[in-house]
This record gives sequence, structure tokens and C-alpha cells, in this order.
Amino acid sequence: MSTLDRCLNVYDLRAAAKRRLPRAVFEFVDRGSEDGVAVANNRNSFERIKLRHRALVDVSGRTMNTTLFGKPVSMPMAIAPTGAAGLCWHEGELELAKAAAKARIPFTLATGAMTAMEKIAQEAGPSVGGRLWFQLYVWNRRELSYQLIERAHRAGFEALIVTVDTIVPPNREYNTHNGFVLPFTPNVTFTLDIMRHPVWFSQVLMKYFTTIGMPRNENYPDEYKRMSRDDPTTAQMVRQDSLNWEDIKIFRDKWPGILMIKGINRPDDALKAIEYGVDGIVVSNHGGRNMDSVVATIDVLPEIAEAVGDKLTVILDSGVRRGSDICKALALGAKAVLTGRATLYGTAVGGEAGAFKAINLIRNELDKTMAYTGCRTVDEVTTDIFFGGRQGNRLYERVMDEAAF
Amino acid sequence: MANLDRCLNIWDLRAAAQRRLPKGVFDFVDRATEDHIAVANNRSAFERIKLRHRALVDVSKRSVATTLFGKPASLPMAIAPTGAAGLCWHQGELELAKAAAKAQIPLTLSTASMTPMEKIAAVGGRLWFQLYVWKQRELSHQLIQRANRNGFEALIVTVDSPVSPNREYNTHNGFGLPFVPTVRFTLDIMRHPAWTTGVLMKYFGSQGFPKHENYPDEYKSSILSGAGSRDALRADSLAWEDIAKFRDMWPGVLMLKGVNRPDDAIKALSYGIDGIVVSNHGGRNMDSSAATLDVLPEIAEAVGDKMTLILDSGVRRGSDIVKALALGAKAVLTGRATLYGTAVGGEAGALKAINILKNEADKTMAYTGCRTVDEVSPDIFWGYREGNRLMGAA
Repeated sequence: MSTLDRCLNVYDLRAAAKRRLPRAVFEFVDRGSEDGVAVANNRNSFERIKLRHRALVDVSGRTMNTTLFGKPVSMPMAIAPTGAAGLCWHEGELELAKAAAKARIPFTLATGAMTAMEKIAQEAGPSVGGRLWFQLYVWNRRELSYQLIERAHRAGFEALIVTVDTIVPPNREYNTHNGFVLPFTPNVTFTLDIMRHPVWFSQVLMKYFTTIGMPRNENYPDEYKRMSRDDPTTAQMVRQDSLNWEDIKIFRDKWPGILMIKGINRPDDALKAIEYGVDGIVVSNHGGRNMDSVVATIDVLPEIAEAVGDKLTVILDSGVRRGSDICKALALGAKAVLTGRATLYGTAVGGEAGAFKAINLIRNELDKTMAYTGCRTVDEVTTDIFFGGRQGNRLYERVMDEAAF
Repeated sequence: MANLDRCLNIWDLRAAAQRRLPKGVFDFVDRATEDHIAVANNRSAFERIKLRHRALVDVSKRSVATTLFGKPASLPMAIAPTGAAGLCWHQGELELAKAAAKAQIPLTLSTASMTPMEKIAAVGGRLWFQLYVWKQRELSHQLIQRANRNGFEALIVTVDSPVSPNREYNTHNGFGLPFVPTVRFTLDIMRHPAWTTGVLMKYFGSQGFPKHENYPDEYKSSILSGAGSRDALRADSLAWEDIAKFRDMWPGVLMLKGVNRPDDAIKALSYGIDGIVVSNHGGRNMDSSAATLDVLPEIAEAVGDKMTLILDSGVRRGSDIVKALALGAKAVLTGRATLYGTAVGGEAGALKAINILKNEADKTMAYTGCRTVDEVSPDIFWGYREGNRLMGAA
């Protein structure tokens, strides 16, 4: 736990996670796709935006409390769905979900999670103050997906998030180089990697082996739970390139709770989402993990927010590492952000305590940024805090003007 | 002193200071906050602005002298308030004050200084006092009365620090003000024997551990314990009504430090403020903050002719001063630049830093054909009125 105490920001947690995890697991979490251009651009776009101190506002009574879909949260943040929490820590999804419940922010469970949704609901659900969202990768055999969301509904998940930005599997070349395959499949490269990380091996992998055996996709239909994605049957089953708006219509009919679409990057798509009765969209480029040429989410957010107004809830993810990033996203029209890697780094370093630490580090930074910019509530966070024009900062406009020369 | 002779610019002084000071102290002075985006951006903003030579103006009689609040200064510059001068050199604030007096520029003493203001006042020169407002306002009111009795001509209220920033490197270095003797920092000190004997041991041999000498007695000792001072220092309730009170109580020049918005500047005017320091605290507070040089033009446009504008955060070269003047500042403050000098050679080092900047400002004025500081205008810029083309494009 002393390692955790020394982590004062998300980058410290990242460095500690890197030491702890096998390279293949760390890179699966940390890297993007192809040349890593999108991941870097996501960060640059946040960092380019410049804020101004507001002098002499009494901010001693400030609060980050807000509501998401009509229910309270302690800060404008939720945990993004991620597939590898269970490899960062033994039953990592559960640890992360407990941390979220304790921090009073929603937790999203991924379709590819290694913990069964019923267990998450039981130990980190509404009974302990948790808000649970379920992320859906739509399978080729749609009826299996319908069964899955019925199961999520029965388990008490309040929201369904359909991921729409993963039409085809991305080129994450490093996974192949590292011998890393999900669901977890042993090979020589990865085995050597594991042997170099005995703490992880004993604390994570051995705990699975001595209980459930090899970690698997616990929310998949039984016949697919243990199958590798490279297996032709599975590859066919997880094929998503036929997903279209008609499917959303069906999900809207079937799902009685909050329905979100994750991976919207265009105003026209956002408008279409309203038409289909969607409650919220996540402006996301999948953490820069899918299309490497993708635009930064903070750059596309303003026009999407303008297009949809208050007709649906806009959430942003991809690149959030500092509390100031949340302030910038709120100012540009998001109601909240999701964190994927940031909270996974924490989970990898200290399970629930680590995830909780990551949340609190970001919370503290958001609080300070609000204080510096003179915002007492999240509703007071507007582009008025920016240096420069409404759309962003002056630097950003400069860059665009320069490009137009 | 040979060390000092080899320092030809602020970067040389910085490098020498880095060798001399324990890492905990150097990083406290040199680094900023979080990911160090603001501190880098401050420099970029200066370096982005391009000037043009003016040909064939007789500049043989040029002068960098100016007036600030009606009184002469040999250079459009003053020393910024900093908390760690006393850790850069034994009684560093005193050394810095002597250098400023010799150079005929104002010195600002920080609330958090380790030298009592009475001792600084004895040096003479032009003295300004910086105020961090405490939660118990009457203590702050007593403090400024004390500053007034001691002949400080100006009061600078810092308004950009409602909360304490995330300076993670201090924790990693085991360094904190209040001074906490951690194992890590102790090892750090042991690796810097010259500093230990020249600075720390001199304090031990005379007054004991360095203290916040201008704090009320009940908080002075808390430089060691830390207990109680955190809450006392809580500043997030500071508001304009406080400024109205300070204006009533303070008979001299009143400035606000850390104004970055034209609307705040206009408000300052309505509260009878004499000057504002456009500052982002050297990039040490909010890491997303805009560069001061970038926000200066619109603030100057809003209030430039009605109050004195001073700029700080990032000044490392004399050309930076010239750029700030062209964009509407009457002067700049230097914090780190003169602290590096102090760390390398006390008074002589601080004076050296001032003279380096003075020399560079002089040369930049000569190149651009300016004989007086009043002649420095955006006319020297390459590009539009507000700056160069890059800025003008915005």
C-alpha cells in the first residue's frame, strides 16, 4: 500500500501499474492502435485549451455534486467499460465497481468483463449505493445480445451503453507482438513475460487458477465463454460490421432503462440518436484504441453539444487524466466524463483502494480547477473560463488559422 | 564568486543554482505544478513573438529607466514576492532586497518570507508587500498595518491562489513548507554540503530553524509543525468585499496580483485599485492557465490607460520585458530569475541577475530603435498591432 501512497497523480499510478503488470497486460491497457497518434492527440487537445483564473470569487462553499439522468453523483464522472480490469487485479471489475460505489459515481461493466454481472450487482449495486451501467458489444447472433441485456436488466443495471465505434477489430499490433490474446490464452512470449512479474502472477493469475481456473468472459453465453477471439466461431460471433440504426430501434424497444450510444463523433449521428429515442451519447474515440486517425473527442464535442442541445445527455471520454480535463469537457457541453485507463491504472496498483485513489486524485484536481476559475457548481463551468473564443481557446484558433494559410 | 562570473544569462544562473541547492529546494523554486504545461507555455508565448530591427536610429542615448507609480525605477522591473529566497541563501530576502535597492528597482516581500519585514525595511529602497489573506481576516489586517508602519509603499494582494496547487514534486522530494524534516529531504541535504553549511547551519547557529517571520506569533512555529496553519491559510473565501476593506485600510499603492481576465480588471478599477499584476503565479497554480503575455493585450485594452499593469510569469530574458511593455505592461516582476541569482551568490548573485536582464532589455531596445521605454510599442513586432501574425490571427 505504500506504493499507492506515493502516487500523487494518474501518471504516478500509471508508472506503478507499469512496474506491476506483465508488459502484455500493461500495453493492452495503456496503448492505442497502430502508431499511437490518436492517443497522443487526445491528450494534446486537452492540454491546448487554456483557462483563466477568476479573481476574488468566494468559492469556499463549492461543490462538484451533480446529477446524471436525474440521479445524484458526487462528481461529473463515471467509470468507462474496460475489458482488462480483471487482469489488472484479481476480480478487478468488482474492485473497481466497489470503488465507484464508495465514491458515488456510476460504474460501467463491459460485455468482455471477467466477472459475472450478477456478482457485480450483488456486491457493488444499488444495495450499497452503486449505480450500474452495462456496456454492450452487439453480437452477430442478435438473439444472444437480447438475452444478455435481459440478464443485465434483471440484475438491476440502470443503463445500457451500446458501443458503436468498433465496427471492425482495430489493429493493435503490440498485442500480437506481446503474445496477448483475450480471453486469456497462454503462449511462450506471454508466459516469459508473466514469469518476469511474479507478484502479478501470484496475486492475480494464481488466484484465478485456484478458484475459477483460467479467467474468461463471464457474461458471454456458455458456449463462447472460454473461446479465443481468434477462434473462427468466436470471430464470426463477435462480428459487428452489420450493426445499424435498426438495431438501436430494437434495443430501444427492449431496454426499459436509460439507453446510451458510445462512440458518437458526428453531429448528424447525434441528431439521429435523438430520433431513435436514445437518452445519452458518449462522445468517444475508444480512448484512441480503434481508428488511429480519429479526431480528439474534446475537439468534436462543441459541435455535437450544439447540435443536440439539452435533448440528450452528452458524456465524453478518451484521454481524461487530470481533473482540469473534466472542467474543459463540461465547459464545452459534456455533462460528465468516463475514465477508462486512469482508473484501471489505480486498480492495477491497489485494487479497490487504488481505483478509489485514482477517482479521488481526479476529484481533487477538478475541485482545484473549479476554485481557480471561480466556479462554485458544475453548472457554472462554461466556456467563460477559457482564454479565447467560445469554441475553444485562442491557441486552438491560431493553429487552425495557421493551417488555413 | 568565480562561479557567478561564469554565469552570462539566467539559464546559467539556473544551472548553477541547480548544482548548489538541494533538489527539494531547487525544484520548489524551479518547477511549477502538475504536468508543467503552464510554465512551458509561458515561455513559448514569449518566444513566439517576433521583433524587427529598426535601421538607422541614433540610440546612443537610450535609457531603460522608467517611473512606476510616480517614482523612478532604473528598469521597468521589480522583484516578485517569493517564499523560498531564505532557503536559497542565508537570509536570502535581505540579500535580494539589498540588490534591488542597489539596482534601484522595487522589491516585493512575501507574506511567507523568512525575514521579518522590519529588517527588510532597514535596507531602504522601494518596498512592496505581498499579502496572502488569512482566514482570520483581523490577522491580515494587523499584518498590513505593520507593513504600513514599516514604510512599505505598496500592498499587493494575491488573488490567484484560492486553493493550494498540486505540486506533486514537493511531496516526492519530501520537501514542504512548512519545513518537514523527512528522510528523503535529509538525504538530499547531505548531498549538498555547501548549502548545508552556508545556509542551513547559519540559521541553526543564529536564530534556529527558519520561520515565517511575518506570521502572527501563534502560527510562526507552525512552519515546523504545520498543524493549524493549513486552516489559517485557507483562502477560498477571499472576495471583492475583502478588497474594499483593504482599500479603506491601506493608504498607499494597492495592487492585485493574479488577474487574468478583462472583466476582473475592470472590476479592480471600480474598487479603486492602483495596479494589477497579470500573473499566473509563474505557472505554479493552475496548469491549464493561459500565458500571461497572451492575456495581456485584452486586459491592456480594457484598463491599460486607467491603472498600472505589471506582468509576471516566465520572464527570463530582457527581450521578454520589451515584449511585455509593447503589449501594455508598465513593468514586469521577476521571481525565479532573481532567485536563481540569489541562490548562486546572495546579493551579488541577485544583482547579477538584474543586470543581465537590464543588459538584454537595453540591447533589445537598441535593435528595435527604441530610445526610451515609452517608445516601445507593437510597432516593433512582426505582424499585427496586438502581437505578431500568430497572435493577430486570433
